[in-house]
Amino acid sequence: MISASDRTSRFQESLVAAQGEIAYLDSWDELWDFAASLGDDTPVVSPAAHGFLRRGDLPDAEDPLRSIADRSVGITVAALGVAETGSLLLVERAPVDRAVSLLTRHLVIAVGQDDIVDELAEGFRWLADQPRAAAYATFVTGPSRTADIERSLTIGVQGPSRLTAAVLT
Amino acid sequence: MIAEFTERYRRAVNDPDLRPRLLAFQRSWRESRDAQVALLEQRTERSFDELRRDFAEVKDATLDRIDDYIAEFRANAEAAGATVVELTTAEEAVEYIAGVCKARGIDLVVKSKSMVSEEIELNDELAERGITAIETDLGEWLLQLAEQRPSHLVMPAIHQKRQYVAEILGEELGREFDPDDIPAMVASAREGLRRHYLAAGTGLTGANALVAETGSIMVVTNEGNMRLATSLPDVHFVTAGIEKLIPTWADAERQLQLLPRSATAQTLSTYTTCITGAQPGKEMHIILLDNGRREMRLDDTIGAALRCIRCGACANVCPPYQVVGGHTFGHIYTGAIGLVNTAFHHDVEAAAGPQGLCVSCGACETVCPVAIPLPRQILQIRRRTTESGHAPRWERWLLRAWSAPQLFRAAMKLGAVASTLARAVGLVRRDHIRLPLPRRLNWRSIPAIPSQTGSDLIDNRQPQPTLESTPASGTTVDLFAQCLANRLMPDTVDASARLIEAGGANVNVPPNQHCCGLPAFDAGDWETARRMARAAIDALSRADHRIVTPATSCVISMRDHWPQLFRDEPQTLSRANAVADRVHDLAAWLDGPGRLPDGCLEQEESGSWTAHRFCQSSNRGEPGARIDLLVERLTGETSLPLEEAEVCCGFGGLTSIAAPEVGEGIIERKLECIMASGCETLLTNNPGCALHLRAGAVARGASHNTQHYADFLASRLPDDPPS
Repeated sequence: MISASDRTSRFQESLVAAQGEIAYLDSWDELWDFAASLGDDTPVVSPAAHGFLRRGDLPDAEDPLRSIADRSVGITVAALGVAETGSLLLVERAPVDRAVSLLTRHLVIAVGQDDIVDELAEGFRWLADQPRAAAYATFVTGPSRTADIERSLTIGVQGPSRLTAAVLT
Repeated sequence: MIAEFTERYRRAVNDPDLRPRLLAFQRSWRESRDAQVALLEQRTERSFDELRRDFAEVKDATLDRIDDYIAEFRANAEAAGATVVELTTAEEAVEYIAGVCKARGIDLVVKSKSMVSEEIELNDELAERGITAIETDLGEWLLQLAEQRPSHLVMPAIHQKRQYVAEILGEELGREFDPDDIPAMVASAREGLRRHYLAAGTGLTGANALVAETGSIMVVTNEGNMRLATSLPDVHFVTAGIEKLIPTWADAERQLQLLPRSATAQTLSTYTTCITGAQPGKEMHIILLDNGRREMRLDDTIGAALRCIRCGACANVCPPYQVVGGHTFGHIYTGAIGLVNTAFHHDVEAAAGPQGLCVSCGACETVCPVAIPLPRQILQIRRRTTESGHAPRWERWLLRAWSAPQLFRAAMKLGAVASTLARAVGLVRRDHIRLPLPRRLNWRSIPAIPSQTGSDLIDNRQPQPTLESTPASGTTVDLFAQCLANRLMPDTVDASARLIEAGGANVNVPPNQHCCGLPAFDAGDWETARRMARAAIDALSRADHRIVTPATSCVISMRDHWPQLFRDEPQTLSRANAVADRVHDLAAWLDGPGRLPDGCLEQEESGSWTAHRFCQSSNRGEPGARIDLLVERLTGETSLPLEEAEVCCGFGGLTSIAAPEVGEGIIERKLECIMASGCETLLTNNPGCALHLRAGAVARGASHNTQHYADFLASRLPDDPPS
């Protein structure tokens, strides 16, 4: 058995290799303060994260993407993390669930330390068992990137340019 | 419209930036991909070969029951609210998409990257029907703005330089861009594309996998555009080839172990998105396209090409691709796989142009994450293009002359006389004739043809005394001198005989031997190849001696090409196999039946050396490929390190004649590595490579000597061996 702390440090290593950042936080309150300190405006919060935080701006249900496009900080929640790859699994059935992770500049993704699994294969097993989750699920591994111009790796294209995994201990 | 091949070729070789850019790309990809694969092997405790063969089995098993998996996929996807349509041709796919758009009043499509949409030339077709398609992957968007096509499967705009990108972005967005500020150019995609996402009635994506057990699609991307294209518009089209079906999510994970590592040398791409069915209030149309795929699967040799997961690795190690890029090395699909599947998704005409560019080095197969036998498939397609009359006329005549031993000998004799005359008037330097050659050809000098052949030399000399007894002592060995070596490298043929004799065997040179048929086989002219092979089989069937040759390529030809050539001629096939079973590559012989002991040859104080290892045998892992280790073992001398020692030298059979710029580009890369090694002597193990590398070095004025390793070893045989 791999211990929880080994798993978390492996997760951190993989995520950092994918240009992601990591913060260890004790509570949702701490997470809010952390996220709020990252930008000048109020963080926007996905419906799933709002269930825990009970604060922050929600995307407008009618026009979710336009309503929060390019806001500086967004907060959402992952169903699980993958130590092997540093990925976070986002389950986002409707566009309103997805708006925050698509279009904010600095995305903070909360994940419970106990929800980090060792291998990507476990992530896929979880997905195979959750047909509803697979309606629209994404393993996110670091901030968006491209190397399309002269192979020069550029972080931050059409999705977030910074990504922080907020591990709730 | 895609320009004619000759035009694409001309453009590519006249672009001074293309080669260095692609070279830097190939080298950095190789390094990062190898590191990724090493980590994967370490983590899984399985070799890359085992991992890829496992997944290839999954793909094969799925393809063998493709209709069952499509039915399962359809049932699950439709239960989740998607519409699944199976279409046979590109036209049907275009009509379906256009039809849905018209019915919904949609005139703008935002697209995430999809090779199938390129395959069916969707953008142009939709434009003709009044529907605008906007590419949203940055590279694809840049290509669209420039009215170009992808030149690589995963790095579509790899041929564009940043100055050019700045120009086209400036035109599109109406402001100036600093070509050195790549982040600013990248950031412009966010603003440049946003209005299209918001206005589009439909988003179109491809799929990296179609998961039958849940009816889901899986797409891997890095930019985030695919998620936008599937979140804003109300209709989602998926265009995918039927070969993208896989049974389960566990298989999807297996695919992901191989795909991003092989594609961009990432552990995992940034976004791995799984979508099952239509989202609430939206439509999803999944188009499963055949377009020649079932026909491909029926072909014994080509069928495995449907395993392809479109990673582009085959292009990333391809020496000719590095010289000309994907617009030339390919059609719509680029790289080695493009030389194969173009004939099925498009036509033989479209596949014909680039066929002559492949040097058959076999590098593509070594990195293919689904173990597709690409080199063999390319030769099969080349046969089709040649048989349908697409080979250049000079090639046909050259091969006909080559296949007639008398004509070949007469031409070589004439060349030998001319060479003697040239020598007499001082036109020969370093064994090459100094002729003013046109610019296209002057990167390789013309070798002077010696007056005696290899077999002449052996007939007129005393055998080499035995140095050490070996398992082969006292037996007779037939030497296959090889057509090129016998005429152009007679000393190498003699040196090979002496090394065999040093192990106590007697050497016989069977008469009437000429050519194994390799040049014709490589050129796709199987009829001529069969004629040549039959003559070689006759010449080598007079006795049942073991056969040794210094020509590594001919060993591969006998073992691998002959069974293909005579598949439908059982009698010839069994004679061919009997010969092939007796044939040994000289280097393998000297480590095997005729094994000379460690350190038995004399060391020479002076003279550093390194070894270019024949690409084809190295990439196939043939015994004897490591000539550097053999020479070190026998002489006790140490090889200098050589970068890219197993990368092709650019000879490639007729490639360097048909496409001289490709030959030049590849040998330039090779000679740079060789000269950087600081060696005084370069050793190699195939006569074609030796001649090509020597002629290239002389033309360039490089100071090192180029030798077949047999010459190098034989020169170190002791004069007075122990009796």
